[in-house]
Amino acid sequence: MIEAVLTGAVAGGTCIVFAGLGEIVAERSGVINLGTEGSMLCGALAAYAVGIETGSPWVGVVAGLVAGAVLACVHAVLVLHRGANQIAVGLVVSFLGIGVTALFGQDYVGQGVVPLETWDVPLLSKLPFLGPVLFQHDPLTYVSFLAVPALTWMIWRTRAGLVLRAAGEGPEVLEIYGTSARRVRWVALLTGGALAGVGGAQLATAATLNWSEQMTVGRGYVAVALVIFAGWQPIKLAGGAYLFAGAIALNLQLQARGWELSRYLLEALPYVTVLVVLALLSRRRIHGGPAALEKVFEG
Amino acid sequence: MTVLETTSDVEPEAPVPPGPEADDHHVAPTAAAQVQRHLRTALRWAVVIASTVAIFSAFLLAKGADPASVLESMWKTALGTPDSAGETFIRATPLLLAALAAAVPARAGLFNLGGEGQLLMGAIGAILVANQLDGGAGTWPTLVLMAAGGAALGALWAAIPAVLKVATRTNEAISSLLLNYIAGLVVTWLCFEPWKDPASLGQAYSRELTGPERFPIIWGQRVHAGIFVGLVAALVLWALLRWSTWGFKLRVLGGNPSAARRAGLAVGGLSIAAMVVGGAMAGLGGMIEVAGTEGRLRPELLAGYGFIGFLASWLARHDPLRCIGAAVVLGAIAVGGSGLKITAGLSGGAVNILMAVVLLAVLGWGGRKAEAAR
Repeated sequence: MIEAVLTGAVAGGTCIVFAGLGEIVAERSGVINLGTEGSMLCGALAAYAVGIETGSPWVGVVAGLVAGAVLACVHAVLVLHRGANQIAVGLVVSFLGIGVTALFGQDYVGQGVVPLETWDVPLLSKLPFLGPVLFQHDPLTYVSFLAVPALTWMIWRTRAGLVLRAAGEGPEVLEIYGTSARRVRWVALLTGGALAGVGGAQLATAATLNWSEQMTVGRGYVAVALVIFAGWQPIKLAGGAYLFAGAIALNLQLQARGWELSRYLLEALPYVTVLVVLALLSRRRIHGGPAALEKVFEG
Repeated sequence: MTVLETTSDVEPEAPVPPGPEADDHHVAPTAAAQVQRHLRTALRWAVVIASTVAIFSAFLLAKGADPASVLESMWKTALGTPDSAGETFIRATPLLLAALAAAVPARAGLFNLGGEGQLLMGAIGAILVANQLDGGAGTWPTLVLMAAGGAALGALWAAIPAVLKVATRTNEAISSLLLNYIAGLVVTWLCFEPWKDPASLGQAYSRELTGPERFPIIWGQRVHAGIFVGLVAALVLWALLRWSTWGFKLRVLGGNPSAARRAGLAVGGLSIAAMVVGGAMAGLGGMIEVAGTEGRLRPELLAGYGFIGFLASWLARHDPLRCIGAAVVLGAIAVGGSGLKITAGLSGGAVNILMAVVLLAVLGWGGRKAEAAR
């Protein structure tokens, strides 16, 4: 049972890892993007539809990436150029994503998916316990394993990471050194949207294997919550994502074992878990975040 | 002030109402200037509406639908006949209360994205009370008690993010958002298990509220007295926010929290009060929906209303009276969405595009105004 829960945690958590990594990039640059939910949905539908039309799941993943980034453009224009409120715009952008995917996704409901096949890592997948938990997944999951340390390294050890953090901590300083913080934030928001799009693509073509309206059911918002809980650290974010998905997997296992409690209440467990850990850790976290974000949070 | 500052701009109290007032600081308010001002406002709205319709039409064309006939059928469904206009009003009522749920906290600089969950909790609270009374009281006592139950449960649900905010500094936007999903699952659970109507068979919904548990119909088949509750609530809140010391304190808190703290205002208490009042409004909205329009709890009850209410609040710049207009406009679009489904065979969710584009236009336009006002 533990093996099944952990396997489910990794399989279901990957889409949130991608979306959350994207949100870390955006928030490190000083912009919060609640449009992540919309970007995930657009990515999911684009990957699903393009996969069916072209027969290639990988073309679909690229389409998902582009779709997520395109939706993030709307957020970037309004927040960076029009000075509109970040939280309100983010929510409206998600709303736009829901509308667009409802309109264009209608024809794809119930159509067979072109799945992103699982690929067992040679040798490692044969390991007892660790094999099935970590090494019998779709290729995007392995990409996410690599993306977590890669992003950590990028943020702390590269010049790009330094510029990104500077945009979030002291944009004025960045301007003095001749770099436009607005341009950095544009790149960060597009990257964030693209990663959320990939997350959506993974969700539709590798995890749930179907498309339905609003299929992300708040996973994008969960990713935003987890970024705060993780203190803007990729590795902790991954932990949070697996915790959320693990709660879903645990719930499925408990149901299969004829647990007494209602399955609908158990389905609330992942959201309750995220809320509780967020509340427990918030006091410590808020000052660890990018300075420009604190203004958004504290008003 | 650099351009960058605007990106972290929280504009909770929306100091600049729509229209070019901000440009007019040094213009004497002559009659001619007034007329010019109104004309410019009207022109701006015309641009917003025209561009919204154009963008929506572009999406429809991309989908292969005929925008003219789709828009026509939406118009007919929403406002074409007296009956459909009535439908728009009963749809606008929970939206109005959800808008108030976002507007009051926004005055204090708080983001209540939990309107959805608070509406649902209000519906649950109302049915809890109705089940307790079991038809043993007259119409008005029953309705008043149900409203109190709904408001109380909505307020309680809103108190969770408020208390977490004050006690642990948890971001209230995100915690209230997550609570929506939890409330939705509680409703699903009630409909499928403890409250399931035996007559519902494959579907799942609670028993139908009847007799004294329902608002009387005042017009046509479906328009009920509940719509007045929404209007009264908006008026009362407008007066409170405008004239009471409480409203003034909220505005100070929303405008500058550190100044509010230095001035000795009880910031924590005020924040919680703002959220709780907002939650009570949404709870009332949920009660009106089950005691008026729907008559029972269903899993998909009020889906999306909390978010649309939030949009209405921003459209109205958190002014309770303007919320009425915003709720009617968005209610009409929502009703038009069902026309979209029935006549054009398109997904009703597509109207979200229309609402989102209107809001994005308004948010973008207001943002620059705030910047210019500095």
